[in-house]
Amino acid sequence: MRLAIVFHLTGTILRFLGAAFVAPLLIALYSRESADAITFLATGVAAVVLGEVMRRQIRHREWTLKRVEALAVVVVTYLLVAMIGAVPYAMNGMTAADAMFESMSGITGTGATTLTDFDYFGRGLMFWRSMSQWLGGLGIITLFIAVLPRLAIGGRQLFFTETTTTPGSGGLKPHVRETAGMLWRLYVGLTLAEFVALMLAGLSAYDAICHAMTTISAGGFSPNPESIMGYNSAAVEWIICGFMFLAGTNFVLQYQTLLRGQLKASIADDEFRVYTAIVAIATIALTVFLLQTDMATATAVRSGLFQSLSILTTTGYASADFSLWTEQSRMVLLVLMFIGGCAGSAAGGPKIWRQILIARYTLLELKRTLHPRALLPVKLGGKVVPEDVMRAVLVFFLFYLLLFAVCVGVVVALGADILTGVTATTGTLGNIGPGFGQVGPMANYAGLHTVSKVVLTAAMLVGRLEVLTVLALLRPEAWRSLTLRGD
Amino acid sequence: MRIILIGGGEVGYALARALAPNHDLHVIDHNPAVADRFHPLDVSFVPGSGTSAEVLGLGDVESSDLVIACTGLDEVNIIACALAKKLGATKTVCFVSGNDFLESVSGGYSLREHFGVDQTIWPEAQLADAIQRIIAAPGAIDAESFAGGQVRLLEYRLESGSPLTAAPIASLQLPRGAVVVAAKRGDTITIPHGETHLKPGDKVIVMGRGDAMVAMEARVAPDGRNLRDARQVTIIGGGDVGFRLAQLLDSRDDVSVRMIERDRVRGEMLAATLANALILSGDGTDLELLEMEEIGRSDVLVSVIDNDERNLLASLLGRQLGVTKIITRVSKVANLRLFERVGIDVALSAKGAAVESIVREVEGGKAKVLAVLEEGEAKIFELVVPDDFPATALRDLATPPESIVGTILRHGDAIVPHGNDRIEPGDRLLVFCTDTSADLMRTFFTSS
Repeated sequence: MRLAIVFHLTGTILRFLGAAFVAPLLIALYSRESADAITFLATGVAAVVLGEVMRRQIRHREWTLKRVEALAVVVVTYLLVAMIGAVPYAMNGMTAADAMFESMSGITGTGATTLTDFDYFGRGLMFWRSMSQWLGGLGIITLFIAVLPRLAIGGRQLFFTETTTTPGSGGLKPHVRETAGMLWRLYVGLTLAEFVALMLAGLSAYDAICHAMTTISAGGFSPNPESIMGYNSAAVEWIICGFMFLAGTNFVLQYQTLLRGQLKASIADDEFRVYTAIVAIATIALTVFLLQTDMATATAVRSGLFQSLSILTTTGYASADFSLWTEQSRMVLLVLMFIGGCAGSAAGGPKIWRQILIARYTLLELKRTLHPRALLPVKLGGKVVPEDVMRAVLVFFLFYLLLFAVCVGVVVALGADILTGVTATTGTLGNIGPGFGQVGPMANYAGLHTVSKVVLTAAMLVGRLEVLTVLALLRPEAWRSLTLRGD
Repeated sequence: MRIILIGGGEVGYALARALAPNHDLHVIDHNPAVADRFHPLDVSFVPGSGTSAEVLGLGDVESSDLVIACTGLDEVNIIACALAKKLGATKTVCFVSGNDFLESVSGGYSLREHFGVDQTIWPEAQLADAIQRIIAAPGAIDAESFAGGQVRLLEYRLESGSPLTAAPIASLQLPRGAVVVAAKRGDTITIPHGETHLKPGDKVIVMGRGDAMVAMEARVAPDGRNLRDARQVTIIGGGDVGFRLAQLLDSRDDVSVRMIERDRVRGEMLAATLANALILSGDGTDLELLEMEEIGRSDVLVSVIDNDERNLLASLLGRQLGVTKIITRVSKVANLRLFERVGIDVALSAKGAAVESIVREVEGGKAKVLAVLEEGEAKIFELVVPDDFPATALRDLATPPESIVGTILRHGDAIVPHGNDRIEPGDRLLVFCTDTSADLMRTFFTSS
């Protein structure tokens, strides 16, 4: 691995990250939070300077990106962006672990928080908190590929290292920059649409933009300590339901369906159909269980849909304190935590296409037992899934389970109860946010042991980058040929 | 008719044999050695390529009525047809071996428009279609349909105990709308009349409207045993014919298909393309595999390997394991009779059927021959009753012996006639007759 190249690419991205601090800076100035404004300015300038220094590690253009370097660029970028993003939190008195947790929760679109007192932070910082999720929603690399003309070399590799597409998925443009640009235009458009809709539903411009940014990114941060429940508005909940559904859907598919009018593309898509079916089944189940308590029918349906979508798309909003719901209802949500959204969406988790492949693979193995000589390829969308993709999916699940067990072990060993340990792990590894127990929707992660927070911060990163990207970097051969030179 | 045949392979030879007695034939093949084979036939042989204007000119292409390109290469056939058409040929027929040229550009018309190909023939696809029709008719060993599917023709082999063998045909009270048009005992085919008494082992050909044929099917099988719809179909061999047949059956919910293919790579392609069929990797003559997969429980076994010996072996193994209906592909036309002799219900040849369809068209003249059955011993053709023909009840019509009016098509309706039905001017008749009485029947309406 040639560090100079890793630095060069990471630096190119960081340089532009600095520009992003302009937005919270303006909000802070407008709200007369001068201390925060200085922090944002200083952090932004620091990011630009650091980026420029790193970028200059290499000046010629005679290089190609190796696989291990692509992995390293993605992981190092996320780590550095999280660290820089953590500076404003730390300057406002959070501990290093808490600030890093909060920042990582932001850029990975998790939505888990260590904030206990929401009023303590200014509007500028709360805006940055929401904005960090928005920047990370489609993937930080994808964002910068879309806006940076300079990332011509290695851009394609980086894009596909960060974004996992389903095998044989169509609709992508020949140039990765055009693909990224197409996704970001759609992403910005959806955000603006939700912003307007929430404004019309009665939210202030500030609340509307903050929630629009964290819905479309399937993030789940809310400037309101009681999340969506705090607004107590059915209209707001319905609007957010619609946009959460979109955030969990493949953006390439949305582009084809919404902007090119190819409705068939969505209807024919295996993953989208399963996704819709899961939403429907979970909503019906939750509605039935909620109606057994004294809830009104309209509220039960709305809460059922909202919470199903919130957990399935790994957004993590709460329109009700679902940790107080009955065991049956919480069971439904717990199951949803292990599923995830669609490939190419803003959602995290193991993703539905992987679940489909695992289910089909398993069922075909049963068939193979009866017909040992049969040729039984696993198919997705009518196309055969190559053997290596299938193997990667299986390995993904094995590692996911392994990491899950390790994280639960650590969190519980350091003093949390089992329910908290299990749901805090799925909440962070699956980039959902809230769980049950100590980390419920109206509570937060602040009470966990510092080591637990560090482990869960790592879990967010590993989960966001779909496990194998990060774990492959832990292999010794990735580091054996480490050099600083870039040629 | 002046005919040019491009390609002196198996199809070309069979066509030349059938057409040479009555037509002027030029055979073009780039391999001069092939000429020896055509020597005994009364044809002119032109050595050279069919894609050369000069060679085509030697065959008098400008005054030819029909050019048939039947080399083994699709591209050569298409170019030859295009060239021949440009040089003045009246009609061109092109043999193809795949889907690419038929459907690549909007609905297959592109070949006609851009290349001057008037008719394309894909023998393997025709065979697959024919097998699918036979599978769809429970108990039948051959099946055709006419008049846009309104009229069906099915062939059965009668088993002992079949209700049809109980009494002479007149006293059987067969369903209205269906008629027994032919019976074959041993090698002789007869057109039955009211007094004919069918026996077990006879092959009968029944013609009728769709609804009546369903009732008829129930009368064929021995008492108390219903003919089962084909639910489980086993296809041995995943070549062109097997693949297309599987595609045709794959979309049907009521049929489950399993297919045995020897080549693993081909098998993987089949498994990737077919949504529901179960593809087994192995040899169709591997008894262990056939037993393990309980092939004997299949309703139909279709063996379409392109090797006659292995086809026969697989089919006989299937029979041994208890499959009741077996359909086998025969590559060498000479083997057809042999296959039926050893108990294969249905033996079909892809090239044979294609050759037959061309001969039928060339020889048909005014009357349109719709089908040739029993290796040419019987025919079904369509006749139009002349306008000056007086309306007559069928029983009063002195039609030639060994012929029968199977269906009257009038104003889009299909009527399966009884003695009292009248034939009117302008009717189109589907006439079934043996080969010997075909000419008599053809002239019957025009001369009387």
